[in-house]
Amino acid sequence: MTEALDQLMEQEDTQHGRFLTFSIGREVFGIEIRYVTEIIGIQPITEVPEVPAYVRGIINLRGKIIPVIDVRLKFKKETVEYNDRTCIIVIDIEEVSIGLIVDNVAEVLSILDENIVLPPDYKTGFQNKYIKGIGKVGSEVKLLLDCDKLLRDDEMEILEKIT
Amino acid sequence: MIDESDISKEPMLEMFVFETNQLLEQLEELLLLSEKNEKIGTENINEIFRIMHTIKGSSAMMMFNNISSVAHSVEDLFYFIRENKPDHLDYSTLCDLILSASDFVKSEIKKIQSGNQFNDQSTDLYVNESGGEDEGQFFDPAIILSNRIKNYLSSINGNANELSLDTNSQNDKSTHKFYISSYNKKGASGQQKYTAKVYFVEDCQMENIRAYTIIHNLKVSSSEIFHRPAQIIEDNQSSDFIVQNGFDIYFSTNENEDEIRKLFDGVLFIKTYELNKVDGYLDEISDLYLSSSRNSKADAGMDTNSYSARESEDEKETSIKSLKQNLISVNVEKLDKLMDLVGEIVITESMVTRNPDLIGLQLDNFGKAARQLRKLNDELQDVVMSIRMIPIAATFNKMQRIVRDMGKKLSKEVQLTIIGEETEVDKNIIENLSDPLMHLIRNAMDHGIEDSEERKLKGKPFIGGITLEAGNTGGDVVISITDDGRGLNKDKILQKARKNGLINKAETELSDREIFSFILLPGFSTSNEVTEYSGRGVGMDVVKKNIDKVGGTVSVESLSGLGTTIKIKIPLTLAIIDGMEIAVGNSIYTLPTICIKESFRPEERELIIDPEGNEMMMIRGNCCPVVRLHKLFAVKTEITNVSKGIIIVVENDARTVCLFADQLLGEQQVVVKSLPKYLNKYKVKEIGVAGCTILGDGSISLILDAMGLINSNI
Repeated sequence: MTEALDQLMEQEDTQHGRFLTFSIGREVFGIEIRYVTEIIGIQPITEVPEVPAYVRGIINLRGKIIPVIDVRLKFKKETVEYNDRTCIIVIDIEEVSIGLIVDNVAEVLSILDENIVLPPDYKTGFQNKYIKGIGKVGSEVKLLLDCDKLLRDDEMEILEKIT
Repeated sequence: MIDESDISKEPMLEMFVFETNQLLEQLEELLLLSEKNEKIGTENINEIFRIMHTIKGSSAMMMFNNISSVAHSVEDLFYFIRENKPDHLDYSTLCDLILSASDFVKSEIKKIQSGNQFNDQSTDLYVNESGGEDEGQFFDPAIILSNRIKNYLSSINGNANELSLDTNSQNDKSTHKFYISSYNKKGASGQQKYTAKVYFVEDCQMENIRAYTIIHNLKVSSSEIFHRPAQIIEDNQSSDFIVQNGFDIYFSTNENEDEIRKLFDGVLFIKTYELNKVDGYLDEISDLYLSSSRNSKADAGMDTNSYSARESEDEKETSIKSLKQNLISVNVEKLDKLMDLVGEIVITESMVTRNPDLIGLQLDNFGKAARQLRKLNDELQDVVMSIRMIPIAATFNKMQRIVRDMGKKLSKEVQLTIIGEETEVDKNIIENLSDPLMHLIRNAMDHGIEDSEERKLKGKPFIGGITLEAGNTGGDVVISITDDGRGLNKDKILQKARKNGLINKAETELSDREIFSFILLPGFSTSNEVTEYSGRGVGMDVVKKNIDKVGGTVSVESLSGLGTTIKIKIPLTLAIIDGMEIAVGNSIYTLPTICIKESFRPEERELIIDPEGNEMMMIRGNCCPVVRLHKLFAVKTEITNVSKGIIIVVENDARTVCLFADQLLGEQQVVVKSLPKYLNKYKVKEIGVAGCTILGDGSISLILDAMGLINSNI
């Protein structure tokens, strides 16, 4: 009975299955649109000491202070110069807002559940931790990110550093 | 006995009602959730425990012993559940039981709120009609409830003797305690009620005038007078009435009986009079009071309850009116919004007056207007901040009561010294402070101060001392409670910690402070027995949780045999602080001006480098370490030579440090915004960054915290 109810809820949820796609280098990633609050152009960032390299600092978004993360650095790629196509995607998970710095933002796509497969299970490649699934769109493949893991995984890293 | 008319005015009572209602709501939520899930997690058990413990304490302080005893029984029950973790608990009976306890407390509180005649026993008492020696006696529902809980506990316990339930806390009918309210009962203290019946000499004429003279004379010294007939001068028949039935007077006065007799003796034409001291005359005067609005004959039999309720209502009304003329209660949310807006105004004001568009322009009139705006904003800020600030005196004075009561019960004479009670603290914080303080004082009284024998042996003064001190330091409020008792027993704490498996480092590496902070863990107690006041290890946990909630810190210091000091540090909310902008490379930081002692441009030779490479400087005979901000924060800057930059001497808690920055930019008032929660997992605060602020041009400046900077240097 609860499953039927869940299904009903999902059909009503117009945000389900819609992903915002952006590119980092050659790869295209997607994140669920329900986490995205806004997309802004790159703006001056104030650095904060004692944070990992991928946490670039904080920005002032209309009076609200938001930390920003460089997704390139998080995925252990080299950085590039920020240009006017670089965007900050502001996501909001359980009242915690952070900004993701990405190379450029593409579009919002609807990807049906049957077109999403789980990522391969091999442990190579650092990014696998954050990929929730692989979405097939036409002939291309988008890597769908797990936002929760993106925010929370830092704790694991810190622990790993200590032990 | 609590004078019912005063109940609605008591500020302590208001707080008690509010707090207890909140706690009961939480309790109900938890219980219903647990019942639904058919299990009670340890977290919930702890929470319920904490709630009951706090209710027990505060109701005992307010002399509502029935609430306190019920709470105590529930506490016992949950203590058992927590320690022994019985499985197969019948959750619905358990929850029923606890919910009925909660309902009982709620109904008691409702009664308190409506200012009903409130006795230690509730008014809907049950009469035991079953016979036996208790027949005809009133049964207190509080006792019934406590018994039910105890029975349930023994049924799941199997052995009622296992737990050392403290029976002393039960309704102690033998000791007659009095609740001493903070207001002087108007006219009630020291007043004695009298009835008088006066017969005048026959045919003296104008008895009503003479009666009026008596009343007039009595009015001077009496707080209340009633007389029959009520209308003396206006009613012509009153004289006849007086001749026939005598003149009845009911009054309450400070004067002693002799004075009153003299007064009566001095009135001419009195044939005889009777003067009697009474405890009350409500029945007799009920007809007088009601005759104006109702048929006096029919309602002469009105019971005293409603009469006194009426009377107290009237009194309440008049007194409330006089109090409420100066006060208005405001929803705290509105105040919050107001504070936020004021904060935004400060930021926007600096955005306008320091707008980059205006740089270089010659604007005299604009400058004048801007200064005027600045002045008004300052005033606005002060007023808004002060709206929310309440002097901590109220909370501190609550503690006097606890000290006195506990002192009597434990036969320890203790004096509570209060310093800095005029320190004002935000309303939110006060609400979260009273619980912890209560627990701390109880601990100090129960565990800290030794009894008079021990103190004599140790050569300490007979009267134990507890000091409550409050003060402002920069952006924090520091509250410390010190006692001159026996101090904390490090070994016992270590032992208990070892037993509970709480020690992670090698024991020799634990600093004193770390050892003492074990007492803040939930359930941690080195005492062998549970008393009414402490021993379960819950008190300090309540303290820590409450202080954490407002973002404060608790630290414990103790010297064996000499005493213990517990310091609570709470940051002031909405800090609009005066800050000094300093530049390091391209970044701008803000340093609160209050911690800056001085600043100067040093010469190279003033910098001393020790063999390990640490830099320091001599400031007026003291050697202070130098902290290079560009190194600390890893900022690129060209100014690395000390003689090209500036040294700022910063002080906190008697420790000083020299900061090396590029230049001072100027003083500015800034609104402190806390760093995003996401950054909490990094050690940002420990390095000295306490928050951030938005400058006039929209850029962000990190606010530095002197203590963090000083500590980061260690």
